[in-house]
Amino acid sequence: MNHNTLILLFGLSRTALEIAKKLKKQGYAFTLVDYDPSSLVKAQKEGFDLVVCDYGDDDALESLGIAKNVGFVFCLFDDDVHNVFLTLSVRAIDPNVQIIATTHTKDAVHKLEIAGASTILDPYQITGKKIYKLITQPEVIQIVETTIFGEEDVNMAQMTVTEASPLNGMLLSQYATWKPYNMLLLGLHDKELTKEFIFITEGHTHKLDAGDVLVVMGSMSEIRRFKADFCLE
Amino acid sequence: MSSFTVLVIRFAYFLDTSVSYRRLKEAARTLLEHPHSKIKFYFDIFMVFLVVLSVLCLLYEVKHPDESILEWIIQGSLFIFILEYFLRFWIYSDSHAIVIEHYEYALKNNLPFSLGRTLVKVVRKKLDYVFSPLAIIDLLAILPSYRPLRFLRIFLLFRIFKLFRYARSMKTFATILHEKKFELLTLAIFAGFVIFAGSSAIYIFETNQNPKINTLFDAVYWSIVTMGTVGYGDIVPLTQEGMAVSMVLIILGVCVLAFLTSIIVSSFQNKLVELKESRLYYDIEKLERYILICGYGRVGEVVAKMLHEDGNALVIIDTDTAKIKLAQERGLIGIVGDASKSKLLGTLGIEKRATHIVCATNSDELNIFITLSARSLSPRTTIIARVIKNTHKKKYLLAGANYAFSADETIGLMGAQLVTQPVSFAALEGMLSENTGIVFESIFLHEYSFFSRQSVASLSLHAKRLLLFGVVRPDEYALEKRFLFNPSEDFVLQPNDSLIVMGRKHAINAFRKQNEKRKE
Repeated sequence: MNHNTLILLFGLSRTALEIAKKLKKQGYAFTLVDYDPSSLVKAQKEGFDLVVCDYGDDDALESLGIAKNVGFVFCLFDDDVHNVFLTLSVRAIDPNVQIIATTHTKDAVHKLEIAGASTILDPYQITGKKIYKLITQPEVIQIVETTIFGEEDVNMAQMTVTEASPLNGMLLSQYATWKPYNMLLLGLHDKELTKEFIFITEGHTHKLDAGDVLVVMGSMSEIRRFKADFCLE
Repeated sequence: MSSFTVLVIRFAYFLDTSVSYRRLKEAARTLLEHPHSKIKFYFDIFMVFLVVLSVLCLLYEVKHPDESILEWIIQGSLFIFILEYFLRFWIYSDSHAIVIEHYEYALKNNLPFSLGRTLVKVVRKKLDYVFSPLAIIDLLAILPSYRPLRFLRIFLLFRIFKLFRYARSMKTFATILHEKKFELLTLAIFAGFVIFAGSSAIYIFETNQNPKINTLFDAVYWSIVTMGTVGYGDIVPLTQEGMAVSMVLIILGVCVLAFLTSIIVSSFQNKLVELKESRLYYDIEKLERYILICGYGRVGEVVAKMLHEDGNALVIIDTDTAKIKLAQERGLIGIVGDASKSKLLGTLGIEKRATHIVCATNSDELNIFITLSARSLSPRTTIIARVIKNTHKKKYLLAGANYAFSADETIGLMGAQLVTQPVSFAALEGMLSENTGIVFESIFLHEYSFFSRQSVASLSLHAKRLLLFGVVRPDEYALEKRFLFNPSEDFVLQPNDSLIVMGRKHAINAFRKQNEKRKE
């Protein structure tokens, strides 16, 4: 992903601040936007700049760079009405931008889909599922917490198979190839086949091609070693 | 003190210290009185059966007096009724405790101990029982069987009233009558006045004109029949004055009946809500283990739905009646109430039967309060709390929650991941949401598990379409658990390890089944 592509975070909600912190840590440029001038103080307190802008005005949206250099738009207002309207406005200006929206009611999920959101993050669904998992499989969630989200050196990374890679043309069942590396191949995303992610346990007969995106999990050093050895990007 | 007094006091102390006596009495109480004991439930059913049977036998006997088997049944049931009567008489109060109490009171205050006065207290307490309505019914059900009192045969039907004791709904009816005592009494006085006035009027006007009305009893009978709008027509007023009286009586009668009906119906309706609620608590009491969900908002809904589908017993508390109604429509047990109240949590018996408590209301303050109340009641229940504002997370853990997390954190991470690595976001979302059918599960290895003491290679997980994510291994003292990511092929599994595997649900289930097979 190009680091120069602009990221817009609309709505100064707690979720927005959380995403902003994560992005800042990873060195991504982003802009926080809100229509309410009173949130300026709140943003400053957290150490972020904020652009006050009336998102209902298409010109104002374009002046932020939508349809030009904006790659991602996050709709993170605490009110679903704002999120749906913003999604619709942005989609109307730029059909290709990635729109990520959060919802607060069940009805809004469907409305956001119609409005053209690319990804809908439902905090209630996520929390509910997590609680369910904690009750039924507490060990698993603890592992996921400490590895993927936590401090332990287990990371998730994606890499693209290139033309020159030895993996090009290989079958997924020849898994012995990457056994020497202390990492797990979770699955892949095949550009030709489907939009969805294919987990490793599903696609045994899958043939790797150039352009396929692999998702691996492991310590950063092992992932780097694997990446270098197999000419992956 | 006379030797008799000493004997009585000694006997009282003997009973007080006797374990078997106490146990016996306790057993009798469980059988007869304890509201939720299983044995009482069966005993009640048995008694209802016995009452119905004995009454049926009595009815049959009217025309067939010589069947000996009937006599046996009647005598047998009578014996059981007598036994029950005395058992209830016995457990109603602890007489020895009264004696001891009085004796010790006298000792402490340097007063003379009067046996007579104490015994009066004891007897009075027992008489309380004898004159309680249900005990009177019991007695009336027994007495007519005593041959010299045969003329009381009609009272044998009182056995039917014994059913009051065993059926909860009948008790409700009795309590309604009791609660509306004032209204009913007012109405009864009014009706009594009208009947008295009506019957005396008809008696005065018609005694000499009407051959059917000869006594005051006839007049009362007529006025009640008229007031009840029954109007048999066996006695009719002949004079114009009598007709006027009957017209007034009919109108007043309709009014009285309408009042009576409305009083009973309205209080029944009020009672019905209470009845339903007590039924609910009764249902909860039957659950041996359940998961308590506080707050049936969107998070609670999601959790409840998934847990319910898995067949877990759930109890949901919410202050919003509409939400609870929704939960009940979905076949869940829901209670309208404030989960932060220790009393409510106590009546639900969370300390013994709640395995998990989920605090999922939409207020941090409330969630923390619930966490605290629950933790103070039940030290071992797992408490999972939903954090609204991430800065409060620490407070939850301080309050005693086992797990506390906010959605913001997860969403923040996912949002950042989406920008930086969209494909791994898809993988992560698939893993977390489990919408794709791929799930993560842990499989525990016990001493006799099929895979205990085997190497990872021998599991042939790849062929089973599973991915071993890692192994959780407790340390020697089983105090802390270590997570070993992606163990190598020659890694040997030990008992008490947990395997974290990823794959389709059915593949994991098949693997789990194989693991449960006992080793030869």
